[in-house]
Amino acid sequence: MKKGLILLVLVILITGSLLGCQPEAPLEQTSNPPSSPSKLDSINTAGKIMVGTSADYPPYESVDESGKYIGFDIELMAAIAEGMGVKLEWVDMPFDSLIAAVQENKIDLSISCFNYSEERDQQVDFSEAYYTSKDAFLVAKGFSGTIAKPEDVVTLKVGVQSGTVQDDWLTSNLIDTGLLKEENLSRYERVDQAALDLQAGRVDVLMLDEVPAKNLVSQYEGFNIVLSAELSTGPLNIVLPDGDVALKAEIDKQIKALQDSGKIEELAQKYFSE
Amino acid sequence: MSGWLALFKRYLSSFIAGAGVTLELTFIGLGLGFIFGLALALARVYGPKWLRAFATGYIEIFRGTPLLVQLFLIYYGLPSLGLTLSQSLSAYIALGFNSAAYQAEYLRGAIQAIGQSQMMAGRSIGLTTWQTIRFVILPQALRLALPSWSNEPISLLKTTAVVFLIAVQDLMARAKRAATVTYNPVGSYLAAAVIYLVMVFAVSALLKWAERKTRIPGFEMGSKRV
Amino acid sequence: MDVANFIKYILQGTVYTLGVTAVALPSGLILGTLFALLAVYGGKTLKQVMSLYSTVMRGIPPIVLLLILYFVMSGEINLSPFWAGSISLGIISSAYQMEIVRGAILSVSAGQMMAARAIGLTRMQAIINIILPQTLRNAIAPWSNEAAIIIKDSSLVYALGVPEILRRAQLIGASSGSYLPAYLTAALIYFALVFASGRLLGLLEKKLEIPANP
Repeated sequence: MKKGLILLVLVILITGSLLGCQPEAPLEQTSNPPSSPSKLDSINTAGKIMVGTSADYPPYESVDESGKYIGFDIELMAAIAEGMGVKLEWVDMPFDSLIAAVQENKIDLSISCFNYSEERDQQVDFSEAYYTSKDAFLVAKGFSGTIAKPEDVVTLKVGVQSGTVQDDWLTSNLIDTGLLKEENLSRYERVDQAALDLQAGRVDVLMLDEVPAKNLVSQYEGFNIVLSAELSTGPLNIVLPDGDVALKAEIDKQIKALQDSGKIEELAQKYFSE
Repeated sequence: MSGWLALFKRYLSSFIAGAGVTLELTFIGLGLGFIFGLALALARVYGPKWLRAFATGYIEIFRGTPLLVQLFLIYYGLPSLGLTLSQSLSAYIALGFNSAAYQAEYLRGAIQAIGQSQMMAGRSIGLTTWQTIRFVILPQALRLALPSWSNEPISLLKTTAVVFLIAVQDLMARAKRAATVTYNPVGSYLAAAVIYLVMVFAVSALLKWAERKTRIPGFEMGSKRV
Repeated sequence: MDVANFIKYILQGTVYTLGVTAVALPSGLILGTLFALLAVYGGKTLKQVMSLYSTVMRGIPPIVLLLILYFVMSGEINLSPFWAGSISLGIISSAYQMEIVRGAILSVSAGQMMAARAIGLTRMQAIINIILPQTLRNAIAPWSNEAAIIIKDSSLVYALGVPEILRRAQLIGASSGSYLPAYLTAALIYFALVFASGRLLGLLEKKLEIPANP
């Protein structure tokens, strides 16, 4: 039994070392070798583009009652695919596995209200920005405290979607500095679950993008945005495979065309106007 | 290798705290499950007809649906009936209710193996039914049930790994966090796997020891996966 | 939205749940049978390797293994979450099915192997023609337990985003705000599937029963 255990731990360590080292590597090789074919070719050959999203973030992306994908990002992507002359196929995934999915070629690209961040940029590429977002702090009916500045949340129970820039911001600015206790931060798989817990009173305040926050305000009675600020957010970009220059050029071209034609402004009017 | 060890080292304290939560979930779930499970087993063997039907229905339903569904029903479903439980309490209850169904079956098997004749003997020397259960049947049945029952703590320990989906900060939640931050999911989950293995071995060694201590020589039952 | 559409939306997830099961259960059986044969008839090293495999795989929570296998697989080959998840569940199940088949092989008496060899069959022929047919028939009862476990464990691919029953219940719950009915519907469907699979395999077991075999 003892010998078996030692052998076992050894086996695991070796497998761990073999597999575990891999993901460290991309830090050095920031771009694909030039010979590797662009995703753009395979997209054109297949005649369809596979796009990942976390469909829980209305009005950017969500699923309606008949199971159809709807939202700002969804329609924008549809317009991009149309411009490219390919069919569009959606893959719904948890937000925090989207980057890995792009890296691992599981999907061609991902649009899911992504903000640029340095860590993310080491793993994948970003398109040009297509919109700009802000952070919001959302509370439910009966909230009696005051949140004048972001640091005021440290005495409260805070909720956030796992793997978002808001999660990073809270972790590095409030948790790692010891201001907010780890057990007072709930990290949710999905935003709709977080909203439900805010309503149920399991968390006091939710940190998320401003536009989806406004959407929740209209959906849940008594929800209220107490503070908006540009802390972790900013321009929104589409996430692309690392170093795929041809694909990035094509997507950027399509975004530019949609900006010039006024289509993006029209979509923003449709989804974001109060 | 060094990359993986660095990750393991960096997150070790977080993983250990998570493992503590995992053990706590297992322990409380097991305890609740034993109490409910014993009640269900007794109801199924000695209860009146309606109680037997209830216990059978309970066991079939909880064994026939995924724990994840039960967990979501309790956590996200009950608030609409005005019952809002905290994350850990929801997890304890879901694990306890679920485990009760499995433990009831182990205990029922053992109680039935003791046989009706001991009940008759107990009654004939003037004990009430309840006294016979309490002083004659259960002391033997619980010892007899141990070898097959000892699947349950290990199975439950493994089952707890889904509660991160309701934002409980168990070992799995910590591993997921490490995976998101380091972009090394395989390394992070492997680290968690090693810790789960160590816990499973420790628990099963403890149970083997308990089995040896409480065995009734020559009187044993088989076991299977649940 | 009307109730019929609500239920229909969740019901559509059954295709994925059954699909995952239909991939995971047979692939686990094939791998498990192979591993069990190696564990019983293999050399000393093989026996040890197989028992290590079984111990490790059965000592780690399925959800942890699922995520490890999923990320390993998706790093190497381009597989959709559905396929990666189904195959991963099959590999996880192989360790449990290996134990089922191993138990069933050992329950076929050793005398049969000797008798088969004595009438001139090779070891391989004896395994394929004598041992396995009896083994697999004996394994149906515990195997139907495994089928129920896989149907239930298929809910774990929820974490990969596969639109199976639970995921759909969650989505429709979110868009309609009716979480309790959504998850109750999901629970009912799972229960019906587990119940039906138990009945079906029970029939199969009766049909393939080895007469006069205790």
